[in-house]
Amino acid sequence: MTYLFDPANWEWITAGNNLRYLLSGFLINIEIALIAMVLSLIVGLALALARLSRNRLAALVAGLWIDVWRNLPLIFIILYLALSIPESWRDAYVGLVPATFPEAFRTPFILAAIGGLTLYNSAVIAEIMRAGILSLERGQSEAAQSLGMRYWQSMRLVILPQGLRRMVPATVSQLITLTKDTSLVSIIAIQEAIRRARIVTNTSGSPFVGLGVDAPLLHVFITVGMMFILFNLMLSRLSKRLEIRERARTGTKIRRVTGLEDQVAAEADVA
Amino acid sequence: METLWNVIATYYPRFISGFLVTLRLVGVSFVVAMALGLVIAALRVQPVRWLRALGLVFVEAFRNVPLLVLLFIMFAGLRRAGVGIERFTAASAALGLYTSAYVAEAIRSGVFAVGRGQVEAGLALGYTYPKVLRRIVLPQAVRTVIPPLGSITIAMIKNSAICGVAFNLVKDVMFQARYVNSRTGATNEAFFWAAVGYLILTITATVVVRKLETRLAVRR
Repeated sequence: MTYLFDPANWEWITAGNNLRYLLSGFLINIEIALIAMVLSLIVGLALALARLSRNRLAALVAGLWIDVWRNLPLIFIILYLALSIPESWRDAYVGLVPATFPEAFRTPFILAAIGGLTLYNSAVIAEIMRAGILSLERGQSEAAQSLGMRYWQSMRLVILPQGLRRMVPATVSQLITLTKDTSLVSIIAIQEAIRRARIVTNTSGSPFVGLGVDAPLLHVFITVGMMFILFNLMLSRLSKRLEIRERARTGTKIRRVTGLEDQVAAEADVA
Repeated sequence: METLWNVIATYYPRFISGFLVTLRLVGVSFVVAMALGLVIAALRVQPVRWLRALGLVFVEAFRNVPLLVLLFIMFAGLRRAGVGIERFTAASAALGLYTSAYVAEAIRSGVFAVGRGQVEAGLALGYTYPKVLRRIVLPQAVRTVIPPLGSITIAMIKNSAICGVAFNLVKDVMFQARYVNSRTGATNEAFFWAAVGYLILTITATVVVRKLETRLAVRR
């Protein structure tokens, strides 16, 4: 305890611009999370529609694809991509990316990072979307059909607008998981908050050598952890409010997608 | 040229031992998470205010922090601080702590689903508060709580892979996949067999949870 609260062990936080270095690293985490979330929503919608489609083969293939990727550990997927994306692709990426991008987005392994996060999360989002769409009463699609709408018309005009609305709270709680998961890309040497925290501790005091302040690992990582906690607390408040509003409006809740811890926590928040 | 069958024929002892280590890690963390989660959930529903606040802080801290950060704190952080924590202990403690926050939340909402009236009825009958929890609330809460706990367990199986990467804390499936990959350069093959290992665990868990769910479905 005295070790933890000893002011000398907290001196690093004001030394140099350590704190700013970590905070701008955390910003990269949030950026990666948002990019991966946008991509996952697009891919996830396609996967969900394929799984729900009347074409048996498409439904089967999409179902298999979704179940494989969402049942594998995310770190496993990220590492696999990092090891298997050919060097020529990575070189091509580095050649293409504009120099104005932040450094973290110019490193070749960012492809594996965002690719892995998207591969996993699009499968999860597809299941959340499917749950949202299936939560609609059958009467909705029957009514659309009796109005003379075609399959795609009823999807676009009747089913999706309602079904996707219902998945918004679950998507926000998945964004909490995703934000935490961005810490995993530090493993493949992308300089976000965790990687930067290691740099701060390794060079004893600062990435700017020679400050002569000791930065204990425990304290640095508690600080980084606090950043995640504060940010995710805001997200979970948001998800709770959305869920309550949505449930008050529709009176139903979407079926739980198995294997999502933060969805469980969000449900408990509302209960 | 390494093929799928070559790789498994040569390295099956490693994949099997990795699988067993993953099972052991998941098993130990599961027990830690359930025991601790139950205590925290009890803290969050009992009448003393500051203990409730303590439970809330615990839950919000551990469910919002990345597991990787917890592993850093638990292993490297404590080691630097002079606490000689074992590798497996650090891994299972971090995974258990992280998961216990979710377990606590699931149990708490299960307890609330039982309803205030039953607790009051129990108290009116002269039961003490712990006795009301144990005799009246818990037996009913268990049914509503099984499906979310299943979800949490599946998530925990997937999260356990992080322990095989951070500081190589445990030699689990993830670790062995990386080892075989570095020995043979057969990335696809090594990761294919590791994926099989993880899918066996997660899909079995999914099926078991679904079975329990239909069997225990609350008929009200």
